[in-house]
Amino acid sequence: MIEVERLTKKYRDRVAIDELNFTIGEGEIVGFLGPNGAGKSTTMKILTGFMPPTSGKAKVAGFDLFEQPIEAKKRIGYLPETPPLYPELTVRGYLKYVCELKGVPRAKVKSEIQRVAEGTGIVSELDRLTGVLSKGYRQRVGIAQAMLGAPPLLILDEPTEGLDPRQRKEVLDLIKSLGGKHTVVLSTHILAEVKAICRKVLIIHRGKIVADESMASLTGGKETGLEDKFIALTSE
Amino acid sequence: MRTTFAIMKKELVSYLTTPWAWVVFTVTSFLSSLFFIGLLVSFKQFHDEVHQSPNGWADVPASLHVFRNLTDGVVVNLWQTMLVLTLFVAPFLSMRLFAEERRNKTFELLMTTPVRPIEIVLGKYLGALGIVICTIGVTIVFPIILSMIGSSQSGDTLEWRTVMMGYGALLLWGATNMAIGMFISSMTESQMVAALVSFAVALAWMLLKMTASGLDEPFRSILNYLSFDQQLSSLLKGVLDVKPLVFFGSVIALFLLLTHRSIEAQRWTQ
Ligand SMILES: Nc1ncnc2c1ncn2[C@@H]1O[C@H](COP(=O)(O)OP(=O)(O)OP(=O)(O)O)[C@@H](O)[C@H]1O
Ligand SMILES: [Mg+2]
Repeated sequence: MIEVERLTKKYRDRVAIDELNFTIGEGEIVGFLGPNGAGKSTTMKILTGFMPPTSGKAKVAGFDLFEQPIEAKKRIGYLPETPPLYPELTVRGYLKYVCELKGVPRAKVKSEIQRVAEGTGIVSELDRLTGVLSKGYRQRVGIAQAMLGAPPLLILDEPTEGLDPRQRKEVLDLIKSLGGKHTVVLSTHILAEVKAICRKVLIIHRGKIVADESMASLTGGKETGLEDKFIALTSE
Repeated sequence: MRTTFAIMKKELVSYLTTPWAWVVFTVTSFLSSLFFIGLLVSFKQFHDEVHQSPNGWADVPASLHVFRNLTDGVVVNLWQTMLVLTLFVAPFLSMRLFAEERRNKTFELLMTTPVRPIEIVLGKYLGALGIVICTIGVTIVFPIILSMIGSSQSGDTLEWRTVMMGYGALLLWGATNMAIGMFISSMTESQMVAALVSFAVALAWMLLKMTASGLDEPFRSILNYLSFDQQLSSLLKGVLDVKPLVFFGSVIALFLLLTHRSIEAQRWTQ
């Protein structure tokens, strides 16, 4: 689903990611881990076609992100670090607008909105302005927006950030249920979440991939395996 | 096509649900009413003076004969004042177009959904056009009022052809200002900066003719050609002229293109 080859991004002279190579298969749920400033958000911004890399290649579903951006973007749902909301629109109005941007067929818009709203638990908020929502609800609307149109690939930058424990679990269950049909790449700082739902883990440190393995082989089956490995790989 | 339309609709909704557009709209209506009343009062005074003098219009210098009728004496003058007012108003309407997307981080949404940048630019511009037409377009009520309550000794109260040409010139100037403002808005995150720079650019354009008079040929002719009042003068006099349409049409197209370039380029220079 994702093929990345020697992907590099420099912000002026600061190297954010340095020659990344990895592939992600269809239907996988991948945890994208790394300390603050490691380059997770940068990688995601490139994979969603928001910004071009300094060098290297990225493909989504076989489409090069910078040669056939429209085809690639049709297949991606993206939750950026900050949920991209228009405070003056209602949740329903906002989701409808995103459907139009994504080209969801007119006849399906209503049922799509209902589907993602149920999935993310925002049905009761549909007629409120997005500008007055609490942080957790904003985050949920951001996730709902990414799911519109059921794109085969979801790229979620810290999806559980700001959610309460119950909602956190619901969102994780939701993501887990997408596995198999959808490919999901999510970044997070909470290792327990990764352990609960991801079968594959990518760890990035100072712009370089330091682990690209299945959960089982990384932890070696131990309960604290993931924490130990994360700390060992991202020390110095 | 559908996305362009959706973006346009969203722009209109955003404008109308934020107090900003209403403030601008109210201020514009208020100021233009003041100008209108002011013009009417001086028109009346002038006519009273002329009627009191023994020879009537024969004594009046030719340059003031525009005050003989309501069309030239009031409406065309109103359009001229509105051109200046537009200069102040348009930056406040255009400043949020892209700057706000950056601030809200919604630019990331626009750029990662399967929408072509050109659709974003067109959709936004059409929305902005709708708003500027509503804001400065309300002034059409003034000639309508005149035609209902005014009177003339010869022929129609108003010469509608001239009125509408001037109105067209005003809208054209508004549309041009919005295109420039949109481009400037696409380069900054700050709405304040966007408004100020747009205003400065439009003001400089307005002052071009003054600068031109102090210059030698061929610069004088070039600046005169580029100055917008030169371009609009024939329309304001009621002469149908395609030159200004082509001129402002090209300026609008140029700035739409620049906006397109600018949003593409920014992704590269992050
Ligand atoms: N717009 C930018 N301009 C300059 N440098 C940037 C910019 N965005 C990110 N960086 C730098 O690139 C590096 C990677 O940042 P990135 O946001 O990808 O990290 P991250 O892994 O998402 O971190 P976090 O866990 O804190 O979200 C950091 O050193 C950051 O300072
Ligand atoms: Mg990040």
